[in-house]
Amino acid sequence: MITQSERIRVLSVLVEDGSSTLTKVAGMIRRRGFHVQAITVGPSGEAGRSRMTLQIDAGHAEVDQVRKQLERLVEVVEIEDLTEHAVHSRELVVARVAAAAVPDLVAKGARVLEPGSVTTTIEFAGEGDQVGAFVEELRRHGNLDVVRSGPVVMRRTV
Amino acid sequence: MPSTAPHPNPPPNRAEGSVRVSGADLVLEALEEEGVDLIFGYPGGANLPIYQRLPEHPKLQHILVRHEQGAAHMADGYARACGRPGVVFATSGPGALNLVTGLCTAYMDSVPMIAITGQVNSTQVGRDAFQESDVIGATSSVTKHSYLVTDIAQLPRVIHEAFHIATTGRPGPVLIDICKDVQMVVAERTPRAPFSLAGYHLNGHTKLEDAKVAAQALAHAERPVILAGHGVLLSHAEQALLDLAEKSGVPVGTTLLGIGGFPVNHPLSLHMTGFMGTGWCLKAVQNADVLMMVGMRVDDRVTARLADFAPKVTTFIHIDIDGSEMGKNVRPHIELVADARSALEAILPHIDSVHEGRGAWLTQIDAWREEHPLRYTHSNGHLQPQDVLIDMYRRCRNEAVVVADVGQNQIWAALWWNYDRPGLFINSGGAGTMGFALPAAIGAKFARPDLDVWCVAGEGGFVMTAQELSVAVEHQLDIKIVLLNNFSLGMVRQFQDDFYGGVRSQVELTHIPDFVKLADAYGLPGVRVDKLADVGPAMDAAQRTKGPYLIDFRIDPEANVYPIVPLGKSLNDFWEAPHQ
Repeated sequence: MITQSERIRVLSVLVEDGSSTLTKVAGMIRRRGFHVQAITVGPSGEAGRSRMTLQIDAGHAEVDQVRKQLERLVEVVEIEDLTEHAVHSRELVVARVAAAAVPDLVAKGARVLEPGSVTTTIEFAGEGDQVGAFVEELRRHGNLDVVRSGPVVMRRTV
Repeated sequence: MPSTAPHPNPPPNRAEGSVRVSGADLVLEALEEEGVDLIFGYPGGANLPIYQRLPEHPKLQHILVRHEQGAAHMADGYARACGRPGVVFATSGPGALNLVTGLCTAYMDSVPMIAITGQVNSTQVGRDAFQESDVIGATSSVTKHSYLVTDIAQLPRVIHEAFHIATTGRPGPVLIDICKDVQMVVAERTPRAPFSLAGYHLNGHTKLEDAKVAAQALAHAERPVILAGHGVLLSHAEQALLDLAEKSGVPVGTTLLGIGGFPVNHPLSLHMTGFMGTGWCLKAVQNADVLMMVGMRVDDRVTARLADFAPKVTTFIHIDIDGSEMGKNVRPHIELVADARSALEAILPHIDSVHEGRGAWLTQIDAWREEHPLRYTHSNGHLQPQDVLIDMYRRCRNEAVVVADVGQNQIWAALWWNYDRPGLFINSGGAGTMGFALPAAIGAKFARPDLDVWCVAGEGGFVMTAQELSVAVEHQLDIKIVLLNNFSLGMVRQFQDDFYGGVRSQVELTHIPDFVKLADAYGLPGVRVDKLADVGPAMDAAQRTKGPYLIDFRIDPEANVYPIVPLGKSLNDFWEAPHQ
């Protein structure tokens, strides 16, 4: 029996831009019984193409099906499976916190975006674990509002 | 009334030779360039500009269907019978959505098809316009690819891309949804744009390195079996399969869709596998040590309970053109990703010596064939469907197209198939679409007017698309309809009897048409037969008559399909017909 973490695939997917691309990718994931844990989409370095970073739980399917099924989509140009590789993985958190908490959070690596006398908006970026720990810290400080991105992932050069 | 005023909606300029051309003409010209001769379709508000230009393209014969689902199944039957993609036209909204079942049927069985649907004006998309529906959204799970065309600059490129995608690699249906304003707009003719298909990795995953390993595993196995699927027919690998089987002395079973891929009367034939396969084939699969699966998906109808599928196999060899099939259901030890023909031809030269125990294995299989023959109930006072089909196949003489519907009729037609050379058996295997047979038989007859076409259906499926009889009559298509009428949904009734505690729930079709009168109403001859002695004369009359002919065979209402593996059980647990 494979564990939940072994069912996870992290894929960097280069796709053709188009009105149907996102629904086709999402539809394929749903139809095959996979689950999206995180998804980020943004422009790639190539005109007319976007880069998706997908963190997917294969569910009851064989794990290699995640990549193979996505490869069948004509809109998908290229897939890199980053699951087993050393990567740079970054997530971003933006939060509104009480002004009194700011010095403590800045000491932990946060940056102030919008200072205020009552509340202050800050940001924090880091690896998924670091971002998780930072969000816990925010909770302890009674944060007012938090938004968190999914990961963007790139393979390390060495 | 003569008038000098310009027509309020003049047809766009005739395309050829003209510098300016309409979207509708670009579509129709592209179809002509692709060699299309036949379109199955239905006009409506959002594809009227295409229909307005259609008469100007006389090379394209249009068959007006009676329901869009019929069009899709006709295109499907056409494609399966001749190998060329079937083409369908439908309008937006309900027209396009009526295609969905037909697209799914083609998609599940890897049949090439081009569906061109009208969409509301591009400026109206998303405003819930009249007859607007999200056709791309509704069909993306049942098409190999789809396009929404909102700009004439996409034409005719996407039409040619669609044919390329539909017919190459693992074939499948491609849908092109074209906004009405794009059909109408007139633009400068431009040189044909190159394909924009960076994500279509045709043959990009081909893997044949292990051909020699596969050959040796097969040849040196003590108890090998080959199972052959639809991919054998799609890639015309019949001869390569026969050569491999004979050279390596390995018996061959086919899937339901693989029927016709191997001569069924060959000494090495195991006939059909799967949960309604022959007893001797299931015995062979369950006792095999090496199993080669060629051009097939290894779905649940082939494996029955997956954990107990071919439990003695030490080496699974899987061949398929679609790499995603590798390990989807059964994890192979040796995988070849290529079309069946290329893979089998790569394996063939590496077959050297054959395991010394092969004779004993084939003798064992012969013993199973003796022990578990196909049999059915005779002489119980009712007409038996198998007797009808045996008579029909005798008349087919190895060369008629047989199109079956879904249910008991389909499995009987499959099991009593008797061709000793590769031939044409058409049915909806993956989707199991009731109502498939009549329109698919119409499509097959258009594709192969030189061959006899027999349509085998139960009365339940037949009434789902019976309106297409009009098409058969209008075009005087020589189709012989063998209706196996048991006044019930036979397969469902059998499942309820055997696997659902004998509770017969909603399976009696007590109110169905008098099919002889129905045939008469549509304008074709029909007769009723309820005893064996009348089968031959009715078939004779059908064959003597030009054009469509319907025979309403009133069969034994309790007739069952055997062998059958109870739901959720292993292939070892197949039930056979009771001894008489």
